[in-house]
Amino acid sequence: MKIDKEITIEDLVDEFPFSVNFLSKKGIKCIACGEPIWGTLEEVCIEKKFSQEEIQEFVTELNDLIKN
Amino acid sequence: MAIDINNVLKTLGIEEVNLGVSTGQKWHETKGAVTSSLSPADGKEIAKIKNATIDDYEMVVKKAQEAFKEWRLVPAPERGEIVRQIGLALREYKDELGALVSYEMGKIFQEGLGEVQEMIDICDFAVGQSRLINGVSLQSERREHRLFEQYQPLGIVGIVTSFNFPVAVWAWNSALAAIAGDCVIWKPSSKTPLTAVATQRIINKVLADNNVPEGVFNLIVAKSSVMGDNFLADKRIPLLSVTGSTAVGQRVGGIVGKRLGKTILELGGNNAVIITPDADIKMAIASTVFGTVGTAGQRCTSTRRIIIHESVYDQVRDSMVNAYKSVATKIGNPLDEKSLVGPLIDIHSVNNFRNSVEEVQKEGGKILFGGEIIEGKGFESGNFVMPCIAEAENHYKIVQEETFAPIVYLIKYSGNIDKAIAINNDVPQGLSSCVFTLNMREAEKFVSAVGSDCGIANVNVGTSGAEIGGAFGGEKDTGGGRESGSDSWKVYMRRQTSTFNHSEELPLAQGIKFDF
Repeated sequence: MKIDKEITIEDLVDEFPFSVNFLSKKGIKCIACGEPIWGTLEEVCIEKKFSQEEIQEFVTELNDLIKN
Repeated sequence: MAIDINNVLKTLGIEEVNLGVSTGQKWHETKGAVTSSLSPADGKEIAKIKNATIDDYEMVVKKAQEAFKEWRLVPAPERGEIVRQIGLALREYKDELGALVSYEMGKIFQEGLGEVQEMIDICDFAVGQSRLINGVSLQSERREHRLFEQYQPLGIVGIVTSFNFPVAVWAWNSALAAIAGDCVIWKPSSKTPLTAVATQRIINKVLADNNVPEGVFNLIVAKSSVMGDNFLADKRIPLLSVTGSTAVGQRVGGIVGKRLGKTILELGGNNAVIITPDADIKMAIASTVFGTVGTAGQRCTSTRRIIIHESVYDQVRDSMVNAYKSVATKIGNPLDEKSLVGPLIDIHSVNNFRNSVEEVQKEGGKILFGGEIIEGKGFESGNFVMPCIAEAENHYKIVQEETFAPIVYLIKYSGNIDKAIAINNDVPQGLSSCVFTLNMREAEKFVSAVGSDCGIANVNVGTSGAEIGGAFGGEKDTGGGRESGSDSWKVYMRRQTSTFNHSEELPLAQGIKFDF
C-alpha cells in the first residue's frame, strides 16, 4: 500500500503510525484529544499553508520511509 | 474480586468478529474493512469488528428517515417509557459494561462504572423530561388571538463520540433525542467500537419488547473515509452532535454551517483550578488530584492548570507532589481495583505527553514530578505514563494548548482574585473552571459577569466530574454546545411559533392597514 495525498489522516495513523511523528516535525498535528483529526493529508497540509509541491515532497518522503 | 474479561465479553454478546451496523434490533452484514479493537491496558486484541461501507450508511439513513415518520407520532411520555426501560437494562448490565469501558478505553473500573451510571442518570432525567416538553403561551398584541411556542421533533440526529467517554456521551444525546421524537445515528470512536456494540446489544431487547420502529436507534461503526464529511454534509441530518478536538469541531462547524444545519460541539478544554489564600487547601488538593490524574488526564474537563496565590504556592506545590508520590504507586491495570490511574489510549497519546513534557521545559518550565513513560512488568503495552507536575507560565505555547494526558501546570499569581481570573480566562478554550476559596467575595466574583468565561464555573468543586442535571458544555474554542441536563433538550427539537385567530376580524400585526 502506498501513501498518496488523498489518504485520510485516520488511515495514515492506523496504517502508517510513523507518519504521526514525521508530520509533527513539519508542524502538522495528526492527533488531537487522543483521536485522529478528520480530513485528508492534502487538506491538513493546505490548512497549514503548504504548497502542492511541498505536499508531494511529504508524500514521497513518507513512501520512502515505508520502503526503509 | 478479579474481573474475568472473557465472561464480561460473553455476557455482553461480544464475539470474536462483530457486526458494526445496527438499526435497532437488527444487525447488518457489511463489506467494509474488518478492524481490531485493542485494549490500551495490555495491548491485546479484544475482538474484531466489521466496518460499514457507504452503501450501509445510505441504508441506515433511509431506515432512520422512515422510522422518524412513525416515531414522531408516538407521544413523548411513551417514548420516555422506552428510555426508562433502557435505563433499567443498563442497570442490569452496569458491571459488565463498566468493565468493558475500562478494558477497551483504559479508565479504571470505578470510573467505568461511573460512566454507565451517567447513562442511567440521563435516562432517568429524560424520562421525567418526556412529560415536561413544553412551550410558552404569550400575550398577542391582537384581540382574540393566541400566541404560543411549541417544540416539534427535529428528525435524525448524528452523534459522533470520542474514546474517552465511549458510551456516556451517546446516552446524553440519544436519551434526550429519543424523548424529543428524533432518530439517532451513532458513529462511535474507532478506538472503542466494542463498547458501542455492547450498548446497542443491551438496548436491542428493549426495542424488540416495545416494537420500536427499526431505524430509531442506529449504530454505524465506520472509518471517516466512509462516514466523514459526507455525514456532516448530509442535509437529511438536521443536527450533528460531535464530541472531539477543537480541530475536528472547526471542520464540523464549517461543513454543517455551510448547509445551515445545527450542531452541538463539545470540544477541547484547558481547565484551571484557582487556589486562593482563603482556600481549604486540604480539600483543594484532594479534589484537584482527581481532576488532574483521573482518567489519566483524558477527560475534556481534566484539570490542566492550577493557578495558585503566591502566599500558599509552596504549600500547594509540596502537597501536590506528595499526593502524586502516593498516586504513583497506584498506576496499573484499570481492572485492578487497587489502581487509581490506568493507561493512555495509545502510543500516539504517549508521544503527545512526552512532547509536552519536553516542550514545557524548552519554554522555561520546570518538571516537579513525573513525565516518564513507565516500563516493566504490567506495563508492557507501553501506554502507561507517570503523571507530571510542571511549573510554568500561562503564556507558554504548550500551556495554551490542551494536552490530552496527565500533565498539569502550576502557575503562580499575586494580588487579588481578578488576577487569577484573568489567567483562568487567558486561553483559547472555555470549558471548565473552579475556584477554591472560603471567601464569599472571591467566590461570587468568580461566578459573576466579570468572572470565569467558561461554560462550567465551580466553587470548591473541581473542574472534572460534572453531574448530568446541569447543561454541559463550554465557550470559545470549546464550541458553545450544551448537552445533558437543564434545558438542553430544546436543541433536539424544532421550535415553532404559532398565532391563532379566534376572532371575526383580521387585524395585521403592528396595526398595518392593507385594504384591497
